[in-house]
Amino acid sequence: MPLKALEAVSKGQNGVGAFILQCKRIDVHYCDWAGSSKGMNTFITTHLPTFARLNPSIELHISPRPTRHPLLRGHYINGRQKAVCVKNLAPGQILEKAELLKAGSGEKNQRINKPVASLNGSVRGVWSPFHGSRYRL
Amino acid sequence: MRVRTSLSALTFQAMATMPAMRAPATMVLAFQFAGWLYQPPAGDQTSPRSNEQITRPLEELPSPPVSSSLSAPRLAALHARLTLSPRLPLQTLHRTLIHPTADPDPRFNNASLALLGGELLGYHTAEHLICHYPRLPMSVFFAAQDAYIGPRALSVITREWGVDKAAEPGGEVAPGLLQFRAIPAGAPLTDPDAPKEKIWNRGVSSRIASDDSNPRRSIRTEDPSENKDEVSYEQACTSFVRALVGAVHLHCGRNASLAFHRDHFLSRHLDFAKLFDFDDPARDLSRLCAREGFEPPIARLISETGRLSRHPVFVVGVYSGRDKLGEAAGASLNEGRVRAAAQALKAWYLYSPPEVTKPSSVEGGETGKKWIPNYVDCGEVVA
Repeated sequence: MPLKALEAVSKGQNGVGAFILQCKRIDVHYCDWAGSSKGMNTFITTHLPTFARLNPSIELHISPRPTRHPLLRGHYINGRQKAVCVKNLAPGQILEKAELLKAGSGEKNQRINKPVASLNGSVRGVWSPFHGSRYRL
Repeated sequence: MRVRTSLSALTFQAMATMPAMRAPATMVLAFQFAGWLYQPPAGDQTSPRSNEQITRPLEELPSPPVSSSLSAPRLAALHARLTLSPRLPLQTLHRTLIHPTADPDPRFNNASLALLGGELLGYHTAEHLICHYPRLPMSVFFAAQDAYIGPRALSVITREWGVDKAAEPGGEVAPGLLQFRAIPAGAPLTDPDAPKEKIWNRGVSSRIASDDSNPRRSIRTEDPSENKDEVSYEQACTSFVRALVGAVHLHCGRNASLAFHRDHFLSRHLDFAKLFDFDDPARDLSRLCAREGFEPPIARLISETGRLSRHPVFVVGVYSGRDKLGEAAGASLNEGRVRAAAQALKAWYLYSPPEVTKPSSVEGGETGKKWIPNYVDCGEVVA
């Protein structure tokens, strides 16, 4: 057999073909009694239906969490979660936090210091000292 | 849902002063399900589970009743996440998630859809590879096909779609979870006492001749007559993705299924050059040159440094007459020569015509495209 093949698995490039929103679920917790949930309770009745309509791919779980501060918790496809405490926030500010959870990838925050990240090799290739014009003294 | 509270003075005070709360419930927004009436595809002979059946307790059903898929937020979210067409009903999406090991009733599991989807996936991937890389050797071709739609790839895709598995299948499980009966942890994957099947024809070509669609690993769904009680996660994921492809094809048509395949499978990244495992590339290259009528390949040193040092580098090129076929650097003269030959062979095998017409793009005459025959290669180099 002259030529064998190696096993490999293709890598997904989210957004190259289909785009999959990484936030798959947001838990919305509120308290009916505590004052820190005042903004949250307004948010649930005023902003949340619109948010849900605009983001059908996010599952919304709304449940009370008595005597606790209100909370938004995003669940991501990579298995991680991100929780944001929204105590004493106004409905508009809570909406911003929900947008933040929606836009997140679920990865830990990391410093990105390269302008481009790509799976493809550079078209110019790696620089080689053996090619091109020779340097002469 | 049980809300966990610790009993502190504040809790008692809260319990005393708090107004009565509504029952903790997950809110399902009704408008998410508006217009999700079941529209069966042409020729569909399945029927939703009838009402008298679901009067039984859910725990007795092998899988959730079809009607429950209309109020399942997880299912609706999956439908939206994959931007599936509204023509694909939630009921069918629900059905693609039920593996035959969870519900043996063929009306409610994904066996039939997976069979169709498996053939479609194989066909679309194979035609893409053959049209775009007409010179791929068969072993590399099957490795590439496996990398796109093999069981490992499909289980990765399932995870990337955000589909979770149910801990245990049953009628009471929320629709939207992948349901299958898993092989218990620690159990052997194959029966150690079973007699080993003798494979006489191990070669790629002989197995293609015997109509095995993937000689490396069978890409077909498991034989439906073979009743398995438990399957691995990979097998369950494979049947789900295949069933979904089949469902998209049935409900939304050929063009939608082609677009789905392009967006979710072909858009994935695969470096074909890393699939090759050469045994003796220099020999293959000289055979190739002899076959194609080129002058025999000659390796020449292009450049070198540090021949007597600890890290010598030799840049070697292989030439056929005045044409340079390949070039590579190696730590010894021989390594450079072998690498250059491998590079020349890869350049030959990975030739891709600039414009191709896939057979599926002109099927049915809907797209208005004209069939232009593709380049067909005479085959791999047999040394």
